[in-house]
Amino acid sequence: MTLQHVGKSVPRVDAVKKATGEACFVADITLPRMLRAKVVRAGIPHGKILSIDTSAAEAMPGVKKVVTGQGCSMLFGTCLWDQPPLAVDKVRHAGEAVAVVLAETENQAEAAAKAVKAEYEKLPFVLDPVEAAAPGAPLIHEKNGSYRRVEYSVHPVPGTNIFHHYKLRKGESEKGFADADVTVEGEFEFPISSQAPIEPHGAICRFSADGSMEIWASNQAPFVLRDVLADMFTIPASKVRVHIPYLGGGFGGKSDVSIEPLVAYAASFVPGYAVKLVLTRKEVFTSALVGRGMKGRMKIGAKKDGTFTALKAEMYFADGAYGDTGWPVDTVAGHNCTGPYEFPHVTVDVYGTYTNSPIVGAYRGYGHPEGQLMSGRLIDRLARKLGMTPGEIMRKNFLSEGRQNALGQVIKKSHGDLPGCLAAVEKALDETPLPKNDDRFLYGRGIASMMKSPKMAANAASTCTVQVNADGSAFVNLSGIEMGQGVQTVFAQMAAEALQIPMEKVKSYPDVDTQFSPWEWQTVASMQTYRGGRAIQDACGQIIDIARETAAKVWNCSPSLVAYRNGECVHPNTGETLSLGRLARGFMAPDGLTIGAPLGATGWYRVPGIVEPDPETGMGNAAGSWTFGSQGCTLRVDRQTGEVKILHFASAFDVGKAVNPATARGQVTGGVVQGMGAALMEKILFTDDGVAKNVNFPAYKIPRLKDAPEKQTVVLLETPNPEGPWSAKPMAEHPIVAVAPVILNALRDATGVEFTTLPVTPDIILEALGAKEAR
Amino acid sequence: MPVLNFTVNGVPRTVHLEEGRVMLSSVLRDSLGLTGTKVGCGTGQCGSCTVVLNGRAVTSCTTPAEKCEGADVLTIEALAEGGVLHPIQQAFVDAGAIQCGFCTPGLIMRLYALLTVNPDATDDILAEEINKHLCRCTGYEAILAAARLARERMKK
Repeated sequence: MTLQHVGKSVPRVDAVKKATGEACFVADITLPRMLRAKVVRAGIPHGKILSIDTSAAEAMPGVKKVVTGQGCSMLFGTCLWDQPPLAVDKVRHAGEAVAVVLAETENQAEAAAKAVKAEYEKLPFVLDPVEAAAPGAPLIHEKNGSYRRVEYSVHPVPGTNIFHHYKLRKGESEKGFADADVTVEGEFEFPISSQAPIEPHGAICRFSADGSMEIWASNQAPFVLRDVLADMFTIPASKVRVHIPYLGGGFGGKSDVSIEPLVAYAASFVPGYAVKLVLTRKEVFTSALVGRGMKGRMKIGAKKDGTFTALKAEMYFADGAYGDTGWPVDTVAGHNCTGPYEFPHVTVDVYGTYTNSPIVGAYRGYGHPEGQLMSGRLIDRLARKLGMTPGEIMRKNFLSEGRQNALGQVIKKSHGDLPGCLAAVEKALDETPLPKNDDRFLYGRGIASMMKSPKMAANAASTCTVQVNADGSAFVNLSGIEMGQGVQTVFAQMAAEALQIPMEKVKSYPDVDTQFSPWEWQTVASMQTYRGGRAIQDACGQIIDIARETAAKVWNCSPSLVAYRNGECVHPNTGETLSLGRLARGFMAPDGLTIGAPLGATGWYRVPGIVEPDPETGMGNAAGSWTFGSQGCTLRVDRQTGEVKILHFASAFDVGKAVNPATARGQVTGGVVQGMGAALMEKILFTDDGVAKNVNFPAYKIPRLKDAPEKQTVVLLETPNPEGPWSAKPMAEHPIVAVAPVILNALRDATGVEFTTLPVTPDIILEALGAKEAR
Repeated sequence: MPVLNFTVNGVPRTVHLEEGRVMLSSVLRDSLGLTGTKVGCGTGQCGSCTVVLNGRAVTSCTTPAEKCEGADVLTIEALAEGGVLHPIQQAFVDAGAIQCGFCTPGLIMRLYALLTVNPDATDDILAEEINKHLCRCTGYEAILAAARLARERMKK
């Protein structure tokens, strides 16, 4: 049957509300009896708290309460419980909360926050993850190793700052390197950077005298948040109600939990009052979640013909003061640092370290860009060493049907067409010949391929409820968070497709409320179209089955004989029809007698067979889906200024099926520009005293229109994939994964310089060009 | 308590200002409930809080409220009178220029200030104005397309 809705570039269902300013974000919410919170931050990276004097602040106008961590014994987490809601006996990074002032207005809270006096005994601090992991480094958590944790996931090394060591051992890499004719290796750095959603994080929390609590938050993971808060306050999850309005961008920085435990802890002191905190932009940099923070080295061995024999890598992550959101990033970086290639032998060690810096959490594609920066760059280097093109090396080693990835999983044809992606990128770039270098500009071209196989909890699932109304319209509810990726639109498209009704009749509600919305693991890992889509198919399939059963009763025939098309059940002989609307509440005869179940159903989907990796080998069925792609660019470097202009950036991903090609393109164009920011512009810098310093725009530069590539080509391949809904695959984070190696490979082509540390700013380029000329 | 008298979206308003530093963005959002104006950075760098003040686009998060005495302010709420989208708003919808939507009202207001005065603004001028805004979702391609589409439609 021809698809009616899936595969069409229908306008986004949330666009009108966002164009009129009607769309509600957490900062837009005002509740009765609402206090405003302002947080007092440590200001030093590591120190013992000697005293906190709140008396002056408490006496100031409008102040209701000043909350500190004194006496707080709570630690929160999802897999590693190492963090208090605010600092208790010591501070571990400069952005850490030490007190929260609650006042009637924001100005009053801000004024009073300045009057809180905290004294510290400064402790030695460490920011660099390699130094943090070394013996003798200042110990940030004396209790590392004894915190409550999920033991099969998190592997601390007690007595050190290493709170998680993920190791991957496939085959025997020493043997693999012995078989190699040639090796390439290098050291790389992907600095701490900000996801920088334009909406700052916010939360409003209210405790009730009846022991229940409610929170409104800019958060991608409402049910995780609910369970974390329930655990933290030891109240049943059923008494914690989480509301999520629209999110003004997330990019992972609003997943799991960040500021919510702090707001909830403060609110717990003033039951009956709502407590609202919206971070300043500075606090988004210092005190929410940041991303990346990797220093690593990698070595690849290959035969003369380019066939890979072995890979060895070590990565150290500066995961910040607390580790619960960092460890999965570390593990995923290990899983995926090979890129989309087969290596018979792989040895990887990833160390998640405590550092006195902001907490690292998910950031678009987490783990993948960090690890694949290394493999993507080394393949470029290997190609030159072997006198081959990077494309030839890639084609030799691509994961393809029957080949085995680093986790030992066997790749199927449906996982995607890497040669097709690469060819599409090469074709796009080849349409314009590379300009010749001139007095002003150097030109270069770079290419890299990528894969993403998301980390998820083994029990991660999506559920979907569908309810049909008497007019034949339908509510389709999931708890996928709308944060810009367009999930509400594809949900509506897929539900309309499954029920064979017009999209206008489908309403997928954007607000998530854990009391009423169906359970969902969380909106991460680009899984909503894929996993949510399967849940929609399941729920809609059940609706159709119920409708056919009722129709069969009406017509006194077997349900198997009742056909369903275009929102109607069709009589097997007469062609008579009964619409979904007629059957919505069961079928009512003229005398009112009603038969059949109302049309409501709950569907679900879990990626099957996922397990945590084996603790010894790190291998196993730990990833449940793959999306492959290739990217490349042509750029020019200004010899005088060191400025880089990307003339053409081409991306090709095998998405199985583009449910909405226009919004899919938007994911790619946006992801490429975000990745370009990482490659060329973005890095959180620290003062010598260990305090983050470029903590607002424009000190921290993210791309503006004029920084963006002059042209982007986006090709979406559609290899049939029976595991996805209508074949669709995850694709939202993927456009960022290979951007940095693409750009650095192109810079190498243009300048002859091997850049390995991000971001490659104009200063760094000028210095490298100068050094080259001096030689 | 200082008092601010000004006109917002064609309606005369009197607002009592809190002591201390009060910006136009918080008067609009907190005192008048016009939450369509967004605050993304508080330093006038992201452009999300852009409104039209006496015909010019300004970042309301850096505009002190007391400087707005007697001023005429337009916010995103004024554009879709009677539920019909302004051509700039419709162009953003049609061109796929909206993802998370947080930067959208500010961009629309800046283009409104530009295109109502200069309907023939060149592509370079459009780019110059959009360059004053930060969007983390779209990569800007569709925003520029929306601006061009709006320019074309507003001439008709």
